[in-house]
Amino acid sequence: MSSTIIVLGVLALILIFLVASYNRLIRLNVSVDEAFSQIEVQLKRRADLIPNLVETVKGYAKHENSVFENVVAARAKATTATTVSDVAAADGAVTQALRGLLAVTEAYPDLKASANFLSLQEELSTTENKVSFARQFYNDNVRSLNQSVKTFPGNIFAGIAKVVAREFYVIDDPQDRKAPNVKF
Amino acid sequence: MNNFRSLQLANQRKTFGLLLGMAVLVFVVIYAVLTYFGKTGVGLVPFAVGMALLSVWGSYYASDSIVLTMTGAKELQYSDNPKLFDLVQEVCIASGLKMPKVAIVEDSAPNAFATGRNPEKALIAFTTGILDVMDRDELQGVIAHELSHVKNRDTLVSAIAATTAGAIALLSDFIMRMMWFGGGRDRDRDNNQNPIALIASLIVLILAPLAALLLRSAISRRREALADATAVSFTRNPAGLRKALEVLQRDSTVVNQRSTAVAHIWIESPLDDSSVSKLFATHPPLAERIATLRAMEANPNNPN
Repeated sequence: MSSTIIVLGVLALILIFLVASYNRLIRLNVSVDEAFSQIEVQLKRRADLIPNLVETVKGYAKHENSVFENVVAARAKATTATTVSDVAAADGAVTQALRGLLAVTEAYPDLKASANFLSLQEELSTTENKVSFARQFYNDNVRSLNQSVKTFPGNIFAGIAKVVAREFYVIDDPQDRKAPNVKF
Repeated sequence: MNNFRSLQLANQRKTFGLLLGMAVLVFVVIYAVLTYFGKTGVGLVPFAVGMALLSVWGSYYASDSIVLTMTGAKELQYSDNPKLFDLVQEVCIASGLKMPKVAIVEDSAPNAFATGRNPEKALIAFTTGILDVMDRDELQGVIAHELSHVKNRDTLVSAIAATTAGAIALLSDFIMRMMWFGGGRDRDRDNNQNPIALIASLIVLILAPLAALLLRSAISRRREALADATAVSFTRNPAGLRKALEVLQRDSTVVNQRSTAVAHIWIESPLDDSSVSKLFATHPPLAERIATLRAMEANPNNPN
């Protein structure tokens, strides 16, 4: 009698463990999607800032046409991207074009002192931070999901639930490849 | 040992060990009560636990509004301080948390805290002093530390620790009172009681509240260290929080209201170091926290 209770108890524990692992896998999969949509939300915010920024800079620096064209072209390209790698590539291009634009403004002290530009700059810098934190959060989620998909018991459920390992969000940005900070 | 992932894991394990220690202590106390009082003691245990639960649960459930009143914090809207809201939003995105309520305390001492029973009900508050003295990176580190408390559900952890410590204190208090009146003990059981067991259980009951308080403080210190490590996992910038702690270290002003009831929730202990022994401190020493963060900065293998 008591041995049947023990066996039933152990079976119940195993069942609970399996259900919990399955739910964890599904939850991780959903959170990767959510994290990706957060990146897109922040990229959209940044894209919305661009026309205003370009107009403001144009008012002071009329002859920097190539820089403006770069930014506008990169922004246009970014709106059509859908897959993770495409979005990441377009994101990298916009990031670099914007950096070029901001470098140009250095030569125009009047522009840098204008209230409109200062508030745009503040908005742009917080948006850049948000974009990069959204990327980091997405990659953390992908890391957890991929770990779960590749280890037991997630690897069994992954096949059943059609959950696959996801792609990391990698942007090709020379400034992100800083040398490791070694101190002696 | 000096990247945030292993630090997070180590502190989570230590909290678990300390909570387990609490559970063992509760078990020992109940055992001592039963040894000392026999059957009359049985009713005491649920009574003490019930009273402790009632008193702590109320403050846990309404933690955000209670703390708002106790600290005199005022809730802010986005338009009141867009820069601060943007900073909080950045850390929310990094942590995947919902945007908490943001509040401000009129106090020139730099400090900050977070509370709320769950991430949906979270509140983060800053003193006017901290907003004046800290730059963007430092504030970001502070916000990350506070939101780490939210993410790690430290309001819940400290409520559990407070309930257990409270129940043990109550039990011990009952026993002292009953001894005073000389009643309660099962007279008919006296003959077959081992005197050593009686004395041992008495000593346990006297020392238990102290042990519970020590465990509670140790849990609080672990949660602080965990929040520092979690903060770095959000910002990937240990230097920001480290500089913020250095600002707090240089600053000698202490938050005006010295209510010990809410001492544990501030980023830096609002109480004087000298007045509390290190064992009862709710926070690890600032120097130790700074050193840990420095080690993370120097570690080139930090996962980014």
